[in-house]
Amino acid sequence: MAAAAAAAASKYDLTSTMAPNLDRHLVFPLLEFLQERGLYPEEELFKAKIELLNKTNMVDYAMDIHKSLYHTDDVPQEMVERRVEVVARLKALEESAAPLVAFLQNPSAVQELRADKQYNLQMLNDRYQIGPDQIEALYQYAKFQFECGNYSGAADYLYQYRALCTNSERSLSALWGKLAAEILMQNWDVALEELNRLKEMIDSKNFSSPLNQVQSRVWLMHWSLFIFFNHDNGRTQIIDLFNQDKYLNAIQTNGPHLLRYLATAFVVNKRRRPQFKEFIKVIQQEQHSFKDPIIEFLACVYVNYDFDGAQNKMKECEEVIINDPFLGKRVEEGNYSTVPLRDEFLENARLFIFETYCRIHQRIDMEVLAEKLNLNYDEAERWIVNLIRTSKLDAKIDSNSRTVIMEMTYPNVYEQLIDHSKTLSQRTYKLVSQLLEYAEAQPAR
Amino acid sequence: MASRFWTQGDSDSEEEESDYEDIDENVVGASESTTTAAGSRYLQGNASDSDDSDTQKRVVRSAKDKRFEEMSATVEQMKNAMKINDWVSLQESFDKINKQLEKVMRITEADKVPTLYIKALVMLEDFLSQALANKDAKKKMSSSNAKALNSMKQKLKKNNKQYEDLISKYKENPEIEDEDYEDEEVEEDEDSDLEFEEDPSNIAAGSGSEEQSDEDDTRSADEQGADWQKKMSKKDKLMDKEFKKDPSEITWDIVNKKLKEIVSARGKKGTGRVELVEQLNFLTRVAKTPAQKLEILFCVVSAQFDINPSLSGHMPINVWKKCVENMLVILDILNQYPNIVVDDVVEPDENETQKGADYKGTIRVWGNLVAFLERIDVEFFKSLQCIDPHTREFVERLRDEPLFLVLAQNIQDYLERSGNLKAAAKVSLKRVELIYYKPQEVYDAVRKWAEQRGEGNDGEFEAVESKGPEERRGPAPFVVVPELVPRKPTFPENSRVLMDALVSLIYKYGDERTKARAMLCDIYHHALMDEFSTSRDLLLMSHLQDTIQIMDVSTQILYNRAMAQLGLSAFRNGLTAEAHSCLSELYSAGRVRELLAQGVSQSRYHEKTPEQERLERRRQMPYHMHINLELLEAVHLTCAMLLEVPNMAANAVDSRRRVISKTFRRFFEISERQILTGPPENVRDHVMAASRALTRGDYHKAFDIVTAIQVWKLLKNWENVSQMLRDKMKEEALRTYLFTYGSSSYTSLSLDQLSKMFDIPESRTHSLVSKMMITEELHASWDQPSRCIVFHDVELTRLQALSFQLTDKLSILADSNERAVDSKIGGGGGGGLDGLPLRRRDGADNNSNSAALTSAAAAGGGGRWQEKTSYGQARQSGGGSTTTGRSGYYANAGGGRPVTPGQISRDRNGQTRGGAGSYGRPSYQSVSSTKMDSSARMVSLNRGIR
Repeated sequence: MAAAAAAAASKYDLTSTMAPNLDRHLVFPLLEFLQERGLYPEEELFKAKIELLNKTNMVDYAMDIHKSLYHTDDVPQEMVERRVEVVARLKALEESAAPLVAFLQNPSAVQELRADKQYNLQMLNDRYQIGPDQIEALYQYAKFQFECGNYSGAADYLYQYRALCTNSERSLSALWGKLAAEILMQNWDVALEELNRLKEMIDSKNFSSPLNQVQSRVWLMHWSLFIFFNHDNGRTQIIDLFNQDKYLNAIQTNGPHLLRYLATAFVVNKRRRPQFKEFIKVIQQEQHSFKDPIIEFLACVYVNYDFDGAQNKMKECEEVIINDPFLGKRVEEGNYSTVPLRDEFLENARLFIFETYCRIHQRIDMEVLAEKLNLNYDEAERWIVNLIRTSKLDAKIDSNSRTVIMEMTYPNVYEQLIDHSKTLSQRTYKLVSQLLEYAEAQPAR
Repeated sequence: MASRFWTQGDSDSEEEESDYEDIDENVVGASESTTTAAGSRYLQGNASDSDDSDTQKRVVRSAKDKRFEEMSATVEQMKNAMKINDWVSLQESFDKINKQLEKVMRITEADKVPTLYIKALVMLEDFLSQALANKDAKKKMSSSNAKALNSMKQKLKKNNKQYEDLISKYKENPEIEDEDYEDEEVEEDEDSDLEFEEDPSNIAAGSGSEEQSDEDDTRSADEQGADWQKKMSKKDKLMDKEFKKDPSEITWDIVNKKLKEIVSARGKKGTGRVELVEQLNFLTRVAKTPAQKLEILFCVVSAQFDINPSLSGHMPINVWKKCVENMLVILDILNQYPNIVVDDVVEPDENETQKGADYKGTIRVWGNLVAFLERIDVEFFKSLQCIDPHTREFVERLRDEPLFLVLAQNIQDYLERSGNLKAAAKVSLKRVELIYYKPQEVYDAVRKWAEQRGEGNDGEFEAVESKGPEERRGPAPFVVVPELVPRKPTFPENSRVLMDALVSLIYKYGDERTKARAMLCDIYHHALMDEFSTSRDLLLMSHLQDTIQIMDVSTQILYNRAMAQLGLSAFRNGLTAEAHSCLSELYSAGRVRELLAQGVSQSRYHEKTPEQERLERRRQMPYHMHINLELLEAVHLTCAMLLEVPNMAANAVDSRRRVISKTFRRFFEISERQILTGPPENVRDHVMAASRALTRGDYHKAFDIVTAIQVWKLLKNWENVSQMLRDKMKEEALRTYLFTYGSSSYTSLSLDQLSKMFDIPESRTHSLVSKMMITEELHASWDQPSRCIVFHDVELTRLQALSFQLTDKLSILADSNERAVDSKIGGGGGGGLDGLPLRRRDGADNNSNSAALTSAAAAGGGGRWQEKTSYGQARQSGGGSTTTGRSGYYANAGGGRPVTPGQISRDRNGQTRGGAGSYGRPSYQSVSSTKMDSSARMVSLNRGIR
């Protein structure tokens, strides 16, 4: 991580900022991505990886990287020693967890387990001589498995462990472990479930200090990025999660860089307009504390109404998206790969600019408009005509003077008045029926 | 003067004895019958009175003599009056002597009435009874004389009751002295017996120290020199006699006994406070074990605190310094002997301090370092309050601050080492409170000063020591304590670093109040350092706005100070709206002085009781901590002007609409009403003149007038700020211009012209105007090819406006109905309102839950009121991180409200204001209508998509 931070050549790369909030193992995908993009010298990335691995038990992997880094077949002595040590510890843990593992692998025995935790513990203790020690061993074993990179095994054991565990602290960390394992196995659906479970726990649990709670939330949001930008429904859910008051607060205090992802999600998601307005206010407030092209783009369009600036920012945004491990996910189609999110983002960003631009203009020169939208004249004309045809835009093109003329419709005063009073009768009606219901219910009581 | 008279004749030894006995008696006195005690004391009182003058400074003595002389003169007068049987003048003299008595008593600090007075009383009484007995003479008297006689009779009766004992004693035995001496002689015998008893053990214990004792002997012999004798106070002489002659004889027991005697005399009437300290000081030198020395030192410090009896006055500065010095010595001991534990929970064993320096186990000594430190701090603070800030004395006093800092630092270190982190947090708060208000420059100056002093000589301490000659003359202390703790404070380069270190300790271990105060200091300091956003975040995260109302007054003042500083900081950063919301509440009631505790504001409407006034005076901030009020006012009014002038222009027709700053409006109206306006003199005049210029769109003039305010130069980096101010003024002038003349006089306006007119870059003009269009403040749109603003005429007719008002009122009615039903039925509201637009439901929720006030403002509002208000709300709608508490913030006008000291339970009218925000706006374009027509006007590109 330190190496990655040192090599922060790319201005908007957040990896070094994010890494402290992620599990060691979760940083690997990010490093892989960086390697792919070639933003940093490969050597440094290798070094960063080794540094990461040193604290984990994935010794073999570390050795491989070491070899490819120095192009030798020799492996430093300490790595070999560590390998021996790891293997020994694995054996020891395996042994101590063996009874329980054996029990769990026996399908008929597992069926004896019931929903009642107390009963299960009692039963295990009486019939299989599996006490708290073994259960604890299972946890350690699962953790070790995870450290070794055997995520699926770890996930399974942790799942079982949770069914048996009574300690809520432990259960929480088991849940974290499970989530990490699922993310690393790319089981997005399961991971999402785990995420929601974890979220509930964090929100409901009594933390010793509010600070811890905020920290947990920040972690949760970081981890969730993996899921949200890979899951089909993720873009809506990221808004739902991040835009909650508590989480938004956590972002503002502890991780303003997360705003980038929320902002992107808002741009590409068209169904969350009401929250978007609120979000603009957050941006307005945070734009001084965190600089990010995507945030700045939104600030240009919605806070400062600086359309030239927005247009410049759009280009930067593109760059950012391509180089972001979460946003820049590639889809291979035949020979060439595309970044679907980028295209979507650009399209929507263009719409944003245009929409706002039209709101304050009566007449717009098509050329200027085309330039603002990063399109050439014909494209722009086609684009606008399309908008008008699909009745998204109330305007006409004056091809003689090459301008778009907005239809200024002011709401009819009478319509407004009716609008105002329309709900009144409805509300009164509701009120009366409510009262009546209440009155009827009353004597019966 | 009789008393002086016969003391002079006494030999030294007698005096000493009598005094020793006096102390003894005080110990026993409680149990003894008061008559005898008072009787013998009365005479000794005289003795010690005159002797006191020896120990004290000469100045005092002359004053005392004067009093006595006055008194005897009055007695002479009385005698004369008696001779001619003049009761009128006798009565006068009697009143006079009573008054003089008070003075004498105050000066001598004794409760024993001088013999002179008693004598006079007895004389009077005799004369009175004579006069009464002589009926004939009485009849012959003039009416006024008879009247005086009668009243004198009553007065004397009443008065003499107080001194009954003394008088009877005196009558019985006008020659008490002899008897007393006999008593003392007996006492002395007893004492010497006692000493002898102890001697053998002592000698056995310390046979090795004979040489030293010899040395001491010779020295003490030297010291018995003639001129020496004079200087020495009687007490010291006593001590010397007892202890000095053969120091090896002094045992722990003797010292302990003596200590108990002295301590039990403490607080009793008649014990000179200064003497007490001196006695104890002496004891510290002869203390046998470190623990004992510690114990005695604690007594010294508390005795020093006692020297200043009144709550409002401050401790004499030299005593304060000595006190600090003593505390440092205490710390030295504690550092040298880590096995000594200071504790105020358990009463330690009687003989705990007997354990010597080589004792290995823990020794418990009673004491509370933090309490002492806090007291020292309070005294320091009080002295700064009392001293006139424009004198040299004040500066001198301020220079003592490093002294305190070093003490606090050492205590904190000690506490941290001994693991008492809670107490350490408290101490650390004291340090924070001395630092938080210092800008970096001042901090540097303090740092340099402290360092210089450290280098030059060992600083003031030396001076303090040399002041008291008695310090040097005593025997070499038994327990020598090297100066272990550093005597000069260490400051990091940057005050922020220091603050961070201290504050983080407090956040970890402090209790609620300590944390809150530290947080406020932290906020203040951040604001001072121009880190507005950091300090704002701190304020918001801490939820202090919600809880400040229930905190103690001084914390509330601190909160107000922090808010004021926050406002200044926002202004320096060019955030006028934020600055205004921070400051407006401070100025709303016109009691800034009181709110910031920087002087008393006179209020015509409610008189303060003397009690309140005294309390208020005690809360005052010392001068060096003041926030410049003129500057604050200038900032506040300027911000208000920048916000209010365009606002007034925008809503010129309908004055009932939103008022941003009531204070500003009021001032503005007053200045408008004036027929003749002279050149501006004070801050307010300047801003008003500028406002008038700004209303006309004349930003140039407005800027000139505002910058003419002298006090700006106190603002940090004024150059930048003035540039900012200039830009802001241009922008607001542009907005005002558009509002005033835009739609009414123009159909179109070109961008070029506009930007030239106000000297604003085109892009900025465009952005400004665009914003006004989007927020519907300006009914216009751009014509892009010709770069013009085209105004639309959307004025409503009178009928239409009225009907809007009607519908608004109707919806308010419906709202309140729903609320009423909701509260009756409860719960069912949510289900019943399902079909309604989201906005309404939010409103309903809000009503049921007053804490979520904001959601109404945020969701229900959506109108201008909100969009323009400050930073608070975005966060605000973000809610509290753990609770809904943050909502209070918005209710408090986005800046938190200053709290009123002494008036804790002020109603939270934030609530009513919130209500007004969402409902009570009977204007032609209410919130909802704005929202609706804006959404209708919005070019909706989403219509087709899903």
